[in-house]
Amino acid sequence: MAAYKRQFYPGTTTPAKNRRRYMDPKVKLKKLRDVAMDDVVRIMGHRNPGEDYKSIHPPIEEGKEPDCPIRKLVTPIEGAKHGDRIRYIQFTDSVYFAPISPYQRAWMYLSRYRGIDTGTLSGRQIIEVRERDLEVLAKEYIDNETFDPALTGIRGATVHGHACRLDEHGLMFDAWQRYVWDDEKKEVVYVKDQVAIPLDRRISVGKPAAMSDLKKRTTIFRADGVDMRDDKEVTMYGLRIHKLRTLGGYQPWKVKGE
Amino acid sequence: MAGKEKLFMEACKKKFKEEPTDVSTKYYCFGGWKQSKSKVEFQKTADEIAKKRGIPMLNEDIGVPLGQRSWMPYQLSHTDIYAEADDLHCVNNCAIQQAWDDIRRTILVGLDSPHQTIERRLGKEVTPETINNYLETVNHTVPGGAVVQEHMAEINPALAWDSYVKVYSGDDELIDEIDPRFVIDINKLFPAEQAEQLKKAIGKTLMQAVRVPTIVGRLMDGATVSRHAAMQISMAFISSYKLAAGEAAIADFAYSAKHQSLGMGTMMPARRARGPNEPGGIPFGYLADMAQSDRVYPDDPGRASLEAVALGAIIYDQIYLGGYMSGGVGFTQYATAAYTDNILEDYVYYAIDQIKSRYGGFCKLDPANTDEVMKLGDDINAYALEMYERYPAVMETHFGGSQRATVSAAATGIAGAMATGVADVGLNCWYLSMLQHKERTGRLGFYGFDLQDQCGSANSFAYRSDEGLPMEVRGPNYPNYAMNVGHMSGYTGIPKAAHVARGDAFTANPFVRVAFADPSLVFDFANVTKEIGRGALREFQPAGERSAVIKG
Repeated sequence: MAAYKRQFYPGTTTPAKNRRRYMDPKVKLKKLRDVAMDDVVRIMGHRNPGEDYKSIHPPIEEGKEPDCPIRKLVTPIEGAKHGDRIRYIQFTDSVYFAPISPYQRAWMYLSRYRGIDTGTLSGRQIIEVRERDLEVLAKEYIDNETFDPALTGIRGATVHGHACRLDEHGLMFDAWQRYVWDDEKKEVVYVKDQVAIPLDRRISVGKPAAMSDLKKRTTIFRADGVDMRDDKEVTMYGLRIHKLRTLGGYQPWKVKGE
Repeated sequence: MAGKEKLFMEACKKKFKEEPTDVSTKYYCFGGWKQSKSKVEFQKTADEIAKKRGIPMLNEDIGVPLGQRSWMPYQLSHTDIYAEADDLHCVNNCAIQQAWDDIRRTILVGLDSPHQTIERRLGKEVTPETINNYLETVNHTVPGGAVVQEHMAEINPALAWDSYVKVYSGDDELIDEIDPRFVIDINKLFPAEQAEQLKKAIGKTLMQAVRVPTIVGRLMDGATVSRHAAMQISMAFISSYKLAAGEAAIADFAYSAKHQSLGMGTMMPARRARGPNEPGGIPFGYLADMAQSDRVYPDDPGRASLEAVALGAIIYDQIYLGGYMSGGVGFTQYATAAYTDNILEDYVYYAIDQIKSRYGGFCKLDPANTDEVMKLGDDINAYALEMYERYPAVMETHFGGSQRATVSAAATGIAGAMATGVADVGLNCWYLSMLQHKERTGRLGFYGFDLQDQCGSANSFAYRSDEGLPMEVRGPNYPNYAMNVGHMSGYTGIPKAAHVARGDAFTANPFVRVAFADPSLVFDFANVTKEIGRGALREFQPAGERSAVIKG
């Protein structure tokens, strides 16, 4: 019997291909910017740059772990080894061709990382993980192609705006205005952290991408972009799941042959 | 999608300066919360209260700065009324409260069993004359009058003007003999075809619609309604039939009033900690029967479904889930999406056009034709989602994904129900919508409801009570629906859609249906959105006020 080859997502269109790329851990995502790690730490607001990590338990190697076969099987992630707190970063993704959307974030994170917990809502996606691992992950996802300065927001609270129209600079609405448009540099600059506490320095996250570029990067099907119904395989896959679930709960004998 | 003018256009143009198709706008320049007339009024009032009581109160400058976007009014669907969101909060809207008060204070008590007791056990004759005498008496006792003991305290009639008892039956000959002041006249209130169906279903039973005073329901709870009715009905029997107050047979009246009566909501499990006649126990089919649009507008099944949706939104989503189960102020924004700005209207009437052109009318699609049902569901859902994408003003109006998920699924579910005449097919289409919505946009609602919506296809046809039930008798307390914020509106509209499409006079219960046709109710259940709008405009006159016993 041939070894199982992992599959990620059906479809032939650009959003479907992007979904596959983002989920596949073998694909190295493109780095588009380099926000300094200290600035990532500032935007998240969980600790000051240079400050020690707070811990919630002693380092695992110092503690007395119970004799547990699961613990023997699972190698702890770095933050767990050190007893770090679990902290979060939360991204909001605009409906207007943001590079990625909440469910794809969840699938991508869960496909690529261990030791994480994600929560998915309509506009935002939170990822929680031990603090030092979080910082590495956060920097990666602010720097890479899944982030756009105008259409992706870093927001701990008051997250709505994903479905609002864009402002005159093409930025997604943020009631706290955590980020603003720098008209001289034509860049987006963070002036407040995730929970809207003013930062003591302005942090640039770079220039927004052109809409033509975003439409090539996005995972979102839209009528004014790629309509999901134009991707026959994705449409068929959705309908098939629904049909099989329906029959499975009602007339399971009819599933045979479907 | 070219074609007819979209029904949401007028609201979109009123809400935003830009064209509904514009993606760009301006923010952060509108003067914050001071754009809102109600916020300005609230702040002024709160300042006066804080000064008087010496404790701070509402301060619009605390928390996130409100009004960073242009402040948008909401059009009550299929009316010309515009309101601010604040005025649609159930605590601020006395029409919404009265809709619930009128449901909670209603108990339906049959007269057949007490009449048998009077005739067979007590040996007294029951005639139309004695029934009229009893009805005059019970209309004295139920609002709070005393009949048996001298020197009794009574309820001030000015507090209980909304309380009364009326009867109805499928027996036209009997009804002709009853004083019309006490009758809910099926023949006059319903179109002829509906009246015939209802009378056939009700038969010769003589049913009382007992309306306990609103203030009683408010002071106690829904569970007290049957008790108040039972006590005062028993007293009326004793007085009108000259019975002995201590005789054992009298207990039969109280027993039948308490236990052979029809409450509007069933009792819920102890973990919900609510008695009967509370909103979590109302089956969707009952609420669909309370919504009366199809009685007054029998040729507009779309309106009938949408009015049921609106009633579901205020009773289940705003009051029950938003208040009883959650508390706080967040649910108004969420639930009002289903009955404002004619967005769901547009989707539902689009669906009706599609059904008529594809199948030649309602109920002509074979419910067992799964592939065609899915095709219809796929098309209606795609239309709804496309409207959000083509019209950014609509997208921003429903700026929460949960709003869009509910409204798209409601349109798809109503379509499936109308095309086949089967509510469960509509429900199955609801879940198709949810799965496709998530797949298309990469987002849906929030943690709490996404789970139920993603597993629902499998239980949409289950009839075993721990897994499903027919949609007509499911309710907010069905396990998977206990957290489905904002969904209850659509869940109410789906069974309604199936039965209006079939030309049925009722969805689940003919007695409930007739009881809410009563023109003496304070809330007009044939014009739900209009009544909510009158509440928002502060034109609605509710019952249950205490001003009659407050000096000044």
